[in-house]
Amino acid sequence: MDIFEEIRALTEKYPDRRGALLPALYIAQEDAGWLSQEALERVSSALNLPQATVKGVATFYSMYKHRPMGRHLIQLCTNVACMIMGAESLVDFLKGKYGLEPGGTTGDGRFSLVIMECIGACDRAPAMLVDTDFHSDLTEGNIVEILEEYE
Amino acid sequence: MIKVTIDGRDVELENPVTVLEAAKQAGIIIPTLCYFEGLTPFGGCRLCLVEVEKLPKLQTSCTLMTADGMVVRTETDQIKAARRSVLEFLLINHPLDCPFCDKAGECDLQDLVARYGPEAGRFAEGKRRHPESFDDPIIVRNMERCVLCTRCVRMCNDLQASYSISVTGRGSHSFVEPFSGGKYNCEYCGNCLTVCPVGAIMSRLHRHTYRPWFVEKEIETVCGFCGVGCSMVLQMRENSIIRAIPRAEVGFNKGLLCVRGRFGYEYVESEAQLTTPLMRVDGELKQVSWEEAITFIARRLKEIKDAFGGRAIGAIASGRCTNEDNYMLQKFIRFVIGSNNIDSSARNYYAPAETYLESIFGQGITANLISGIANSDGVLVVGGDPTAINPILGLQIRASWRSGGKVIALGAPGGLKRFVAYELMPTPYSEEIVLSAIVGRLLKGKALSGENTAVEAKLRSLRIPSDEDMEVTGISPEDIARASDDLAGMATSVVVIGPDIIQRERASKNLFLLGAIAYLINARIFLLSERPNYQGVMDMGCLPDFLPGGRPVELEMFRHKIEDALGMKAPEDRGLTLFEMINEAETGGLKALYVMGENPLFNIPDSARVKKALGNLELLVVQDIHLTETAGIADVVLPATAWPEKEGTFTNLERRVQRVRKARRGKLASYGRDDWKIIADIAERFGMTRKYHRVEDVWEEIMHVSALHAGLGYEDIADGKAVWPYSGEPLRGMEGDFSVEGLEDLPHVQDSEKPYLMIERSLYHSGTFSRRSKALLSIYPEPYLMINPVLSERLGLAEGEKARISNERGVLELKVKLNKDVPDGQVLLSNTFEGFGAMGLIGFSTGPVIGSLYIRDNTVRVEKVLV
Repeated sequence: MDIFEEIRALTEKYPDRRGALLPALYIAQEDAGWLSQEALERVSSALNLPQATVKGVATFYSMYKHRPMGRHLIQLCTNVACMIMGAESLVDFLKGKYGLEPGGTTGDGRFSLVIMECIGACDRAPAMLVDTDFHSDLTEGNIVEILEEYE
Repeated sequence: MIKVTIDGRDVELENPVTVLEAAKQAGIIIPTLCYFEGLTPFGGCRLCLVEVEKLPKLQTSCTLMTADGMVVRTETDQIKAARRSVLEFLLINHPLDCPFCDKAGECDLQDLVARYGPEAGRFAEGKRRHPESFDDPIIVRNMERCVLCTRCVRMCNDLQASYSISVTGRGSHSFVEPFSGGKYNCEYCGNCLTVCPVGAIMSRLHRHTYRPWFVEKEIETVCGFCGVGCSMVLQMRENSIIRAIPRAEVGFNKGLLCVRGRFGYEYVESEAQLTTPLMRVDGELKQVSWEEAITFIARRLKEIKDAFGGRAIGAIASGRCTNEDNYMLQKFIRFVIGSNNIDSSARNYYAPAETYLESIFGQGITANLISGIANSDGVLVVGGDPTAINPILGLQIRASWRSGGKVIALGAPGGLKRFVAYELMPTPYSEEIVLSAIVGRLLKGKALSGENTAVEAKLRSLRIPSDEDMEVTGISPEDIARASDDLAGMATSVVVIGPDIIQRERASKNLFLLGAIAYLINARIFLLSERPNYQGVMDMGCLPDFLPGGRPVELEMFRHKIEDALGMKAPEDRGLTLFEMINEAETGGLKALYVMGENPLFNIPDSARVKKALGNLELLVVQDIHLTETAGIADVVLPATAWPEKEGTFTNLERRVQRVRKARRGKLASYGRDDWKIIADIAERFGMTRKYHRVEDVWEEIMHVSALHAGLGYEDIADGKAVWPYSGEPLRGMEGDFSVEGLEDLPHVQDSEKPYLMIERSLYHSGTFSRRSKALLSIYPEPYLMINPVLSERLGLAEGEKARISNERGVLELKVKLNKDVPDGQVLLSNTFEGFGAMGLIGFSTGPVIGSLYIRDNTVRVEKVLV
């Protein structure tokens, strides 16, 4: 389904169009991997909300991306518990292995890396999200195995 | 009754208000930054903190409501320390480039820091950097200076309802931006400039040209662009306009202006302004002295009068000139020359529509308060986009929507798109059928009241379209039922009538139907007015059939009264309308035409025909501020003063008489003379004995002559509260019978293969003046043909490509702009740019019943220009 139609269908579930804005932005982001100006325009016209309002909301939340992203988004936690359990060396490892800098994307467009604040998995640190999948107890050994699953 | 104590003062309140408001009532001013009267309180800046007994922490007084027994302190050491801290935080990122900032001297942040400190901040790290944005032609954004009070965003959303900017990003990386991140592409009202407390949003028009303390004088006046008549202040330095700004406490526009009012004034300082009289010698306009020009005009007019009689002479008055100017022209033509041939471009729609509606419902039926629209529970808009024609009136419709009012637009809603309950988009020229159907449905639901028997008699014989008749309109019977039922359910409704529904065949039927709807649902009627003084033109008697004060010239009783007052005689039969004068000039019956502040060659359709007609005249005199198209073919051109260069009054569409004040004088002002003065000088050559030294002398005579303006002195007008009916007598009980075209039939709506060329009434242009306003041109620089995506696709014409439009009247080549709001079967072109006026390509005749402009033969062939 076209995202325009998908967003239109979404509005049925919400008391007003503004309420549907966050999920609508997710739909648009899923479609292209990030939210371009054109994507924001589409959301604005699908919801009949002002463009500036849509942009204000979209730029407030860190989960919306405003530049092109790799096919898969790695969100690695480096907060206290994960840091103690070696998350920072994983950051260096990813840089060495894939040439992946925090905030950057691999040359082949496969992965983007974002350093995340606590994702609430301190008991199984270090932990990360790849797209929407959760992975814990990461080591230099298993992180490659995990990532190789994502094409 | 609520009793609170603020700084030891007892305050009694009828209704709960915020602590800030209560303090203000007690004469205590609490410092604020994010608060702005009229905007939704935000409580974000924390400067209005106060101590409230029994509440543990400091409270923001702009959001805290008063409660009985509250004890508030507004200036304690604790509060001062808190305010100092808040300011210290704001200064972490604020650049302190005050020596370079245009806002310095009127900056709220500067004033607050001067009062509360800190002298120095403790934050040693670098400041946030963000380059100043010059992407927009009008507005400079400096987000380093922004304190995130969000006043601009709330102004844009709450009052202007344009929703063009928002806070983007988060935390210390939040910035106020338009959607594009650079250019605004908004309505350019500039109301965000009014509310910005710092130098974050500034106008480019006067960037780095002055400091606020350089303003030498402020002149309170009324905007010269449209018929709303917003109050504004012209800030002057060395006779030059620095800024045009609103004042929240002055005028019914309550601190709001539109793009034309705020940024459009530059035309008065244009190089093109006429400075000396010009006279045609050997086919060319040559500079002459005032004495020469006036002597010549007086001599020629006398010769023509002697040879052909006064009726061979006519005059065109101006909706851009003051009441005083128009009165004087009327007096000259009617009482000195002896001709009732006086009219103005109000004839295009405004005057005949108002006169016709008054003939049905009585004088003053369209005189209603603009501010009342915001409180209405429903608005029906037909025949034009109020947010473009009369923007501040349009904002009132948006305000009505905000408080739950239902807005119904018949036709393209334009700037009301976001605010209409649903769209009723009839096929071109089928509105009459839709309106008849609405009336039919309303009649079914409600018994007639018997109040206006003439209207009701006509309603009984009105042909109500069947569902089958409705097919041609493209609007379903269900939509009609819904709209009619919504209208019927309104208790305090408004009907707004624009030019497009009037400038057509059977204008009387359309107006009758709109009047009938207003009658049936008890709505107030507003007539949109494109010029600041169309109403004044009418009130001053610049009509072929009405004397000053709206008294019919053909009724002896009224004519004699005015003749006695003046000691002069007027002809007893009605004169020629604007269009009849053009026709008479064409056939040779009219020999001389005196045009004041009007450009018929550009503002009446069929320019070629108008040009030929005016070319036939033995004498064409044009009095204007620029060498307009019409002035270009005149025998004599007289330079007049522009709107900020003269004293006088305008009467707006709600019939509020307001003072226009002189802001520029001396060397830098034009060498022109006031319109009324020029005409009085000519009249003196004809032996008029009355001497006028000042504009007040003219007004005194108006007070004496016009029954409407009796006893209304300049001092009564000064506060802007002189709203009709004034102390004089309105003409009631004159409603007699009236005629309606085609009451018992329906129009034949033709399906045209070629699109109709309609006049774009742009928010950014006013007609020919705005051609010379640099700021407006920077927003809308050249003529565009507005087409919708359907036509664009069909013709393979993309945005920015050139189209050729043509019909038997001419050919134009111009860039295309895509606009999905252009209705199918139409293309739009504004009547602004030299050589590209929409009027040039359309034909006209006169509406048979009401005598308004009837636009016809306006289909055009549209093709792509191959490069």
